[in-house]
Formats: sequence, C-alpha cells, structure tokens
Amino acid sequence: MTALLEVDGCTKRFGGLVANHDVTLAIEPGEIVGLIGPNGAGKTTLFNCISGRLHADEGRIRFAGADITRLGADRICHLGVARTWQIVRAFGRMTVLDNVMCGAFGRTNRTSEARVRARRLLDFTGLAGHEPVLAANLTLADKKRLEIARALATQPRLLLLDEAMSGLTPLETAAAVDLVRRIHAELGLAICVVEHVMEVVMPLSHRVVVLDHGEKIAEGEPRDIVRNELVIRAYLGDRYGAGR
Amino acid sequence: MTLVLQAVVNGLEMGLVYALVAVGLAIIWGLMEMINFAHGELLMLGMFGAWWFSTTLHLDPLLAIPPVALVMFGVGRLIYTLLMRRVQRGETFAQIFATIGLFFFLQNSAVAAFTSDYRFVEGGLLSRLSGINLHLAGLSVGLPLLIAGALALVLFLALYLLVERTEFGLALQATSEDREAAMLVGIRPQRMFAVAWGLGAALVAVAGAILANFFAAYPQVGFPFTVLAYAIVALGGFGSILGTLLAALLVGVVQSVTVVYLPPAFKDAFVFASYLLIGLLRPQGLFGKF
Amino acid sequence: MPALALAAAALIALALPIPLQVAGYSYFVTVAFLVILNAMLGVGWNVIGGWAGQFDFGPNVFFAVGAYVAALLAVHLALSPWLGLVAGVGAAVVICAVLTWPITQLRGHYFAIATVAIWMIAQPIGATWELINGSRGLFLPLRPATGPLDAVVSLRFPGRSKALAFYYVILVLFAVTLVLLRMVDRSKLGFYFRAIRDDQEGAEGIGIDSRLYKVIARSITAAVFAAAGVVYAFWALAVFPEQVLDLNWSTFPMMATVVGGIGSLWGPVVGAVLLIPISQLMGATLGAGPLAGRGIDLVVYGVIIMLVAALRPNGLLSLPWRAWGRRLVGRRR
Repeated sequence: MTALLEVDGCTKRFGGLVANHDVTLAIEPGEIVGLIGPNGAGKTTLFNCISGRLHADEGRIRFAGADITRLGADRICHLGVARTWQIVRAFGRMTVLDNVMCGAFGRTNRTSEARVRARRLLDFTGLAGHEPVLAANLTLADKKRLEIARALATQPRLLLLDEAMSGLTPLETAAAVDLVRRIHAELGLAICVVEHVMEVVMPLSHRVVVLDHGEKIAEGEPRDIVRNELVIRAYLGDRYGAGR
Repeated sequence: MTLVLQAVVNGLEMGLVYALVAVGLAIIWGLMEMINFAHGELLMLGMFGAWWFSTTLHLDPLLAIPPVALVMFGVGRLIYTLLMRRVQRGETFAQIFATIGLFFFLQNSAVAAFTSDYRFVEGGLLSRLSGINLHLAGLSVGLPLLIAGALALVLFLALYLLVERTEFGLALQATSEDREAAMLVGIRPQRMFAVAWGLGAALVAVAGAILANFFAAYPQVGFPFTVLAYAIVALGGFGSILGTLLAALLVGVVQSVTVVYLPPAFKDAFVFASYLLIGLLRPQGLFGKF
Repeated sequence: MPALALAAAALIALALPIPLQVAGYSYFVTVAFLVILNAMLGVGWNVIGGWAGQFDFGPNVFFAVGAYVAALLAVHLALSPWLGLVAGVGAAVVICAVLTWPITQLRGHYFAIATVAIWMIAQPIGATWELINGSRGLFLPLRPATGPLDAVVSLRFPGRSKALAFYYVILVLFAVTLVLLRMVDRSKLGFYFRAIRDDQEGAEGIGIDSRLYKVIARSITAAVFAAAGVVYAFWALAVFPEQVLDLNWSTFPMMATVVGGIGSLWGPVVGAVLLIPISQLMGATLGAGPLAGRGIDLVVYGVIIMLVAALRPNGLLSLPWRAWGRRLVGRRR
C-alpha cells in the first residue's frame, strides 16, 4: 500500500534559521498521526509546507502520488488536504453557516447543495443552532470547531489539525478529542494532529512523530515514544536526560 | 548624454524636496497605517502660510518655516483628536471617506479665504538667487533648489533620528506594531497617533513652505502631491523612513528623465509605471519590512 | 431590505421624476439621473471594495473604457449604443482582467496604490492617443431620431424629454445591475469574495484561489463602471479624457458606499440618494449668489462628510433601523 502523504527530506529555512531540516515522514490512509515537539520545533512550519502556505527549500512532498511541493494552498486543498490553524482563521464577519458553506463550495457550485452539506457538518461537529451567529462572536472552542467543520466541508482525505485543542478548558478538550475520534471513525479520514500537550496526543494517535529543532528525532507507537530517551531529553532538557 | 545626466541631477534636487513631502505621509500612513486623502491640502496650507507670512510681514519665506511647523503641528493633532480618533473605530474605508471630507473642507476653505488665484512668493532669498548655477563637470546645479534640497535633507535626517533613535520614536513604532502590547508597557496609543498626525502635518507643511519659493500657491495645488507622496511611501516600503528618502530621489529622477524624452504629461505616469514594475518584482516595496 | 421598503423605494424611483418633469423642473430630473448613476457605480465598487475587501481607487478607468468604446463604435461604425454597451462592458472586463491579474500579487495598501498607478498611466494616454482624439475629445454624431423606437434604440431623445428618458435608461440598467449582483452575492462568488476579505490565508486554505477571485471581483466592478460610462457618454454626447477619468467617478461611489454601509448591497444606494442631492443642493444655494465661486458649498459639504464619518464610521445602515421600524409599527397598533 502506498502512503497517502509522503514528506521526503523536507528542509525549510527562514534566512539563517533552519525551521525544518531533512524531515521525512509518511501518513497512511485512515491513520491518526501525532506530530509533537517542544515550542519552536518546526511543527507548524511543516504543516505550512504540506498545505502549501510555504514552500520547502529542499525535498519533495507527495500527496496520493502527486507532487505537491510547489503547489499553492488552494490547489493542495482541492487535491484533498485540509487544515486548521493554530491561531484561528475563521471568517469573522460571516455567519457560522456561511463559513462552512465557503468550504463546501470547493466541491460544488450550487448554493443549495453547499448549504445542505454545511448544515450536515454543523450537526456533526455540534455547532447546530449557531448557524446565524457571526464567527467573530463565537467562543474559542467553537471557533476551533468551526474551522474543523469548514475544513471537513472541502471533503479532504487528509486533515491537518494545528493545535486544535490548545487554549481550551479540560472539558472542551475532551469534547475536541471526541470530535477527532468521530471524524476518524465515521468519515475515515487520515488525520495529523500537531499538539504539544502529550496527554492529548498519546491516547489519540496510532503513531507519533517527534520534532525537535526542526529535525525528526523519533517516530513510533505512543507507548514506545514516551520511553524514548531523546524525546524525554527534548521535552525536559539535557540535565534530566544526562542525570539518569 | 549630458542632457540625461543633467536631468538626473535636477531630479535628485527635486527628489530631496519630495522626500520631505512624503515623509509626513510615511509616518501617518506608512507607520501608523492611517489613510489621509488630504495630505496635499496640508502642503497647500504650508504654501499659503509662507506666502501670507512673506507678503504681510515682509520677511523671507524661509523664516516662515518655524511658525508654519508649529501651527501645523497643532492642526495635525486637532485633525486626529476631533476627527480621526472617532473614525478609527470604523472600517478602514471610513478613513478615506472622512479625509475626502477634510480634503473638500481644506481646499475650499482656501478658496474662500484666498480665492483660486495663483500666489507667488516674491523677494525671498531663494528667488533672489534664482538663475545662479553651480557648474560641476559640465553639469549645472541650480543654487536655490540646492539650498532647498539641503534644508529638506537636514529636516528629514532629524526626523529619521527622532523615529529610529529616540525613546519617543520607539514608542511610536511600538504603537504601530501592536497597539495592545504598547498599552501594556504604558504607552498611550491615542497620544501617539495624535503626535504622529501632528508631526506628519508639520513636515508636509514645511515642505509646502519650501516649495512656495518655486511654485505658485493656489487651493488646488495639493492633490498631485498627494498622489505622488503615496507612490513614494509605497515604493520605499511600509514603515521604512530611509526607504522613503531613496524612493523620493528615484521619483525625482524618473520624472525629470521622462521629461527629456516625452511630453510632461507622462512624467507622473512613468513614476507609477516604475512603481508597478518594482512592485511586481518586490511586492514589499524597495525597503519594506514585510 | 424588507419587501415593503423595497417596493416603496421602487415606486418612488419610478414615479418621482414625472411630477418634476411636468412642472418643468428638468434640472431635478437630471439630479435624479446623477443619483442613480452614482448609486450604480457605488454598488459596482462595493463588489471589489465591500465584498472582496480590496482597496480599489481606480475603477474610473473602466468608466472611461466603456465611454470610449461605445463612442468609438458610434462615431466610426454608427453602432447603436446598446451594442456599444455590450462591447464596452466586454472590453472593460477583458482589460480589467489583464491589468488586475499581475497586481493581485500585491496586498493591502500596495494593491491600492497599484490601482492608482493604472489610473495615473491611463490619464496621459487618454490625453494623447490619436485614436480617441486625445484631449480634443470624441463627439458623438448628432442626428435627430426618426421616431420613438429609433430614439430608444439610438438613445437620442429630443429636447426636454432627454433628462427624463435618460433617467429611465439608467434606472433600467441599475435595476438589472442590482438583480445580477444580488445573484452574485448569493452565489459561490459572493461567498468567496467575503472569505477573501475576512482572511485571505484562511480562504486559500479551504481551496479558494484568492488571486483569481480578486480578478473576478474587480472585473465585475469594471463591468458595472463600463456600463455606466456608456450611458454617460451618450448623455453628455462627448467624451473627454479628463472628464471620464475624473477622480470623482472613483471617490463618489466610494463615499456613497461608506455613507450607506460598506459590504451590504443597499448601502451604496442609500449613500448616493443622500450625498448627491446634498451636494447639488449646496451648489444651487450656497454656490450661487454673492458668494458664488468661493467654494462655501463645498466647505459645508466637507463638514457634513466629516460629521457623518466621525459619528457613524460604519455607515448609516449600521443604525438600528430595524428596531426603529418595529417601534414605529408597534406604536401604530
């Protein structure tokens, strides 16, 4: 079986700063992959390269066999990669329903069809009842939900969630985790979650990739990763690792 | 070839004055991101100020610079506190709308006060020096414009130091970067905006007082300068004071070289054509930070 | 807009000029013509400015394109203005798309100055291009209409009926524009424009080609401006570059939009209905008499604009009209 997403030797520099160095990873269809690492490890940069917001300086990124390294964000979305943003990018002056319809218009030109699909996704994500509210007036948790609904409306095969749970209360986080599980179970999407809270990622992911200083330092099943010395060192600092 | 070189020299001289015209806008628009459609009308007020000063008090128009700067600083602050502070709460487009109103108001107040006749400043130092040229390697440099350019350069550099090197300038930049963060460290944004408007108005009015020595003052004189100033600030890049200077010099040169080959009507068109060309190659302007 | 208000507005628009015409106040009919013309330009500008959220300071270029294309076809090929309308709109859309595509890689203020740049370059071209007679201008051929049908087909209306006839011509075009734009507003295009306005990167992330849709938005604006330009040319019977490229063709629609309420379909209409009569009224009262030519009318006009901007920076439609309406209806019961 060929992987859905293949990132092959991806390097991204900002001036002298290397945000990603030679990162290689693959995501299989229907898989939940956790992408973790300390702040500034290059997780969001990698997301940006995959989703076409930035372009990798070196390396190749393939999605479903097609080379997407240099494609624009809109084209990559059409191929089936959707994402959410660490700092929410909901369309603030549009209603919740209109936000999701914008996503649905990627697959249809008919307003009525887009509306039907959007309503279905609002039901699915638990936002039903908020349709006429302006996105700017939602709570943070609902904005993040809205972004997920909008991303799902583009009918992706791979969903990239950039810190979909950061800044949420424990209760909201639990609901968000539940939503991700349902997206996986009911829609069968491959999902990549960026998160720096280990407790959230570990139980959710089938496989975890760890970035530190822009490089991949570990990859494996969650229970192996929590015991990986490099990972512990990256998270807790050298002293802890050396003193063991 | 000499003709072109001569045009370049003339253009550089003019460019120095343009820099002073544009730098006021570089603060209001480039740094504080507020739109002022009536920028050229503030210049017009400066021109009339110098004209009124020299005809009623019989003093050299260059001596009008300090009072014009002082008065216009107050006018700029007033425009902010009375008008733009309220307009700021709305959409950005509301700023365009409000300053179009300001444009009508200032231009036609000048018509009402001075009529649309052309007013010439006479008997000043610069007009007495007119016709005197310095000759250098076969090129002649007009002395009055050279003095005006030098004056503009000095003022420009003073402002550059004020914005880049002083605590006040830092506070101004902080306000433009992030208003809420600036408030957290004790900067009062509205005061910063008011001072920025004051400074912007004073600088462009001083440019007007200098220009009054070379061009006739009349109520409609401002708008072409408004358009040119926007091109210069965008060309230089947002938030870059030094970029504004270099862009102004470039604009002066493009204008005067264009006139060597084409009818004068095209001189601004070529300025804007170079803006498009440079903009497409470098979307963030020549020296823009983003 | 509630159906009742819409019907009332339509009725007033249709009926108002007739008593004015009968009473011999054809000047006021001309004012009404200008109101509708600017309302039309306003709703056109609203597409790129209000919906797509892009600063466009140079839509007047396409007003000029429409006026010139239709005038050229009338002068050289004796073509009907209605065919000129199709050609003018088509030419404006093509020219706008070609010119706008490259500048869409500029954002925010840089894009705005690029639209000014195109206008600044168009001016000396208009003033010197021999094909369009440079600054000497193009004069439309004068020939009396052979009958009522010919008058409508060739937009030649005799004497005193001209003002009224052109009022209805622009009203029809305006109505068509409103219907079409309402369709655009509710279609994928409208959604995409507003998505780009609210967050360009977010929009690209859900598959929206922001450059393409900005070009489409501006081309729709250009089409509306060109259509208005064609009517203007046949109304003025001559096309001069400094007249059709006048800055007011950009600023007035923009101002009408901001006064009414940016982004809503009806905002520019409300704005034009208020602004144009005020400026004409000022001109007719304060601009005449002993103070004529001293700009007093425009001083007052400027003050009014500043007051509206300071008190209602989000436009008059942002006032609680609905609540007032409800209270009014409630009191009557």
